[in-house]
Amino acid sequence: MRLSNPKTKNETGFDFVLREISVVTPFGKKELRDCVPFGPGEEGALIRELGRVGKMLEAEQKYPEKTEIQRELFLEIKDNSFTIERSANNALSIVELFEVKTLLLQMKTIKELWETIPQQLPQEFVLSDTVELLDELDPGKERLNTFYLYDAFSERLALLRQEKREIEISIRKLQKELRRQVEAKHDICMTPKMEYLVAKADKKRMEEALAIRELVYGGEDYMAATFVLKNGEEVDSFREKIEEINATLEEEELLIREILSKKIAAFREVLLENCDKIGKIDFALAKAIHAKTHSCVCPTILSEHKIAITEGRQLVVEEILKKKGKAYLPISLDLQDGVTCITGANMGGKTVSLKLVGLCVLLAQHGFYVPCKSAEIGLSSFVHILIGDSQNLERGLSSFGSEMEELKDILDQSREKSLLLIDELASGTNPAEGLALTKSLVSYLKDKAYISLVTTHFDSVALAGASRNLQVRGLADADFRKLSGEINRANRRERIEIIGKYMDYRLFPVENEKEIPKDALNIAKMLGIPDQIIEQAKKYMEDRKDEK
Amino acid sequence: MGFLTQLSKEYKRVSIVGMAKNAGKTTTLNYLIEEAMDEGVILGITSTGRDGETTDLVTGTEKPKVYLDVGTIVSVPVQLYELSDAGLEILRMTRYSTALGQLMLCRVAESGYVQIAGPVNTADHKKMCEEMMELGAQLILIDGAVDRRSIAAPGTSDAIILATGAVLSRNMKKLVEETLHIVRIYQSERLSEGSLREKIVAGATQEKIMLVKKGELTFLDLLTGLTAGKYLDEAIDKDTECVYIPGALTQGVIGDIHPSKLKDVLFVLKDPTKIFIDAGAWQQLLKRGLRVSVLENIKIAAVTVNPYAPSGYSFAHGELLTAMQEAAGELPVIDVKYEEKLCD
Repeated sequence: MRLSNPKTKNETGFDFVLREISVVTPFGKKELRDCVPFGPGEEGALIRELGRVGKMLEAEQKYPEKTEIQRELFLEIKDNSFTIERSANNALSIVELFEVKTLLLQMKTIKELWETIPQQLPQEFVLSDTVELLDELDPGKERLNTFYLYDAFSERLALLRQEKREIEISIRKLQKELRRQVEAKHDICMTPKMEYLVAKADKKRMEEALAIRELVYGGEDYMAATFVLKNGEEVDSFREKIEEINATLEEEELLIREILSKKIAAFREVLLENCDKIGKIDFALAKAIHAKTHSCVCPTILSEHKIAITEGRQLVVEEILKKKGKAYLPISLDLQDGVTCITGANMGGKTVSLKLVGLCVLLAQHGFYVPCKSAEIGLSSFVHILIGDSQNLERGLSSFGSEMEELKDILDQSREKSLLLIDELASGTNPAEGLALTKSLVSYLKDKAYISLVTTHFDSVALAGASRNLQVRGLADADFRKLSGEINRANRRERIEIIGKYMDYRLFPVENEKEIPKDALNIAKMLGIPDQIIEQAKKYMEDRKDEK
Repeated sequence: MGFLTQLSKEYKRVSIVGMAKNAGKTTTLNYLIEEAMDEGVILGITSTGRDGETTDLVTGTEKPKVYLDVGTIVSVPVQLYELSDAGLEILRMTRYSTALGQLMLCRVAESGYVQIAGPVNTADHKKMCEEMMELGAQLILIDGAVDRRSIAAPGTSDAIILATGAVLSRNMKKLVEETLHIVRIYQSERLSEGSLREKIVAGATQEKIMLVKKGELTFLDLLTGLTAGKYLDEAIDKDTECVYIPGALTQGVIGDIHPSKLKDVLFVLKDPTKIFIDAGAWQQLLKRGLRVSVLENIKIAAVTVNPYAPSGYSFAHGELLTAMQEAAGELPVIDVKYEEKLCD
């Protein structure tokens, strides 16, 4: 099921939230990437998912030190799933075996972390026991995060290595003795590596060195010729023996690697499952932390199709305001099947309210907490926002053309339990036709089993056709004298912000036209449009009333 | 007490820096490793990464390959691990990576040859060295990139061992002089703690030439360059106490400054590797009254000499060693090619 298109996820701010979710393990990143929404009929599963986030939030608050340790562990985790897959048919390299051992130790620590408080970790997140496999890779049970083909892996390995070391010592002894003899006999000085170095420029010494029968010419570099001690039969036979041992050692090491790989392969399913669980813990914890930082709450999931948001905050806008050091005025909304219209002042935050609804619904249906004081959400099967968008303009379509194209798509794809968010339909065409089109769309949507939320400037549309009408309070209660006083002293940039300060973004139900404030002219005036134009416009408004 | 034991008491990280290519850097490293074996000092071996030198890394021409004894801690990139002749126990996978994969810290379990590599970034390098100390290394030897004295810059290590050799000059007197010049400038006076140092450290973040006049900072809007000297000369007046130069101090920059001004001004540099003036000219400048301080100087733990040059000539056995010892005073000087005590 496709719940929404990329544009809707972007415009509502859902993508913004996803980018803020900080998963740290490769498995958690995969969970985040593949995160699919829950739709109508999956309420039970969604409630369980939200419950797991709740558990992680609780764990984070009750046992911050444990979640901190876990987070540090998570940071170290690498994606070794390919190594695990490979183990069935290949001998893993030592580095790969080390990585598997690291993973096993990490799994053990994570498992043990929650063992003393089993009720705190959702059952689905409890890792399977893999200590048996760890023991194979850590025969000494030292539980150190180091790896080598230790002697403990095979008796044969230990014996071969022992033998090799003994021969090396014998060689060393023999050579030392030989060196002493040669040095004494020819009055020369050799390095501990049994080499005799002679400057090539020194002709006399070169000749002498070449004449020493116990030495062989071992090559030269730019500066000096190197003579090495002749080994003698005994040393040569030792050397041969070492070569043999080396070959056998290599075979033995390969064999051990193969055996260990097979043992890892036997645990393939369990290991991959555990990786999956780690990803789920990581994702749920990241959701919980996001909820905590942004004061989000667990939405109540309803079986009927309705949406009630109490004091919701659109997180993208909140973030921008926060950077400017301003508070966000939360919005409350109650939506049911049918059309709800939002009318009201320019700059009154109608579009933000629309985005807020989309954000809360998308978050809830993806198993996230929502940025509200409380929220009740019935699942939608389709969520779409229709909003002006510059991308289509770049494609060369007129704003009206692209809007109609998108509207057609939406109407085609909508099905029962859809949520449609429509912003200022047909604002790009002539008002007469725009009004007519909006009106008929509203009446078309009114009888569908969709929740439609429409923002519009056309007041009459709202009043006539919609099931419910909401209005931005706007500047209705503002003290205009104070406001214009401030505006007069402000520069151009500050004016917009001052209007924002006096604006009441909250939504209220409307009953009749009288309550509708006409803020557009006021705002235009405050922003410095000449009085002459404003006065004339006011006159036209009067005339319109007379016409009626 | 053995030389290595002494080193490990005084320093944690020692870089080996060559005066030039073929000055005997790798020989020095091998010598120190052998000494450590004899003295039972547990070494950590790493190198400074060589960014921009990947061809060397791939062909292996400049990669240090050293014989390591059991117990040594070493940093090895993943892709060189399998190529190692020694048996290496993997102790830790680090967060630092190189062109040849992530670096692992390993302990030598069976002695043999190992190819080493280290992090490129100075901060990473320092952190990794700390990890090596945690794992039991008593002294860390850092193999610096070939003939790059700049890696001696403070921060990479606590002290350096300067490898010098016949390759520098056919003239032994000149060789000793040049080596001693580096030794002296590396040990340039560190600007003492106090208000002047605080002011300069605070201003240095701007990476601009800075003048201190009557305790006030003035910035010149130019980086060090060939023409900077003239502007600098213009800017220095009788009130100037001190000049900070963020970049290189070259003959050209100093030459443009009126000789009479040199005496009254203290030149401050980031560190001694910024000085690019040869031995003879430097001596003359000092005679004229040039005073230079650095924010951080470089400690020199020892000088090693290699009496052979690649082009074939060499100095007589022991002669270079003696000459260098006489010139260096207190500083330990070691001939890494022939060590006298072996024949005793």
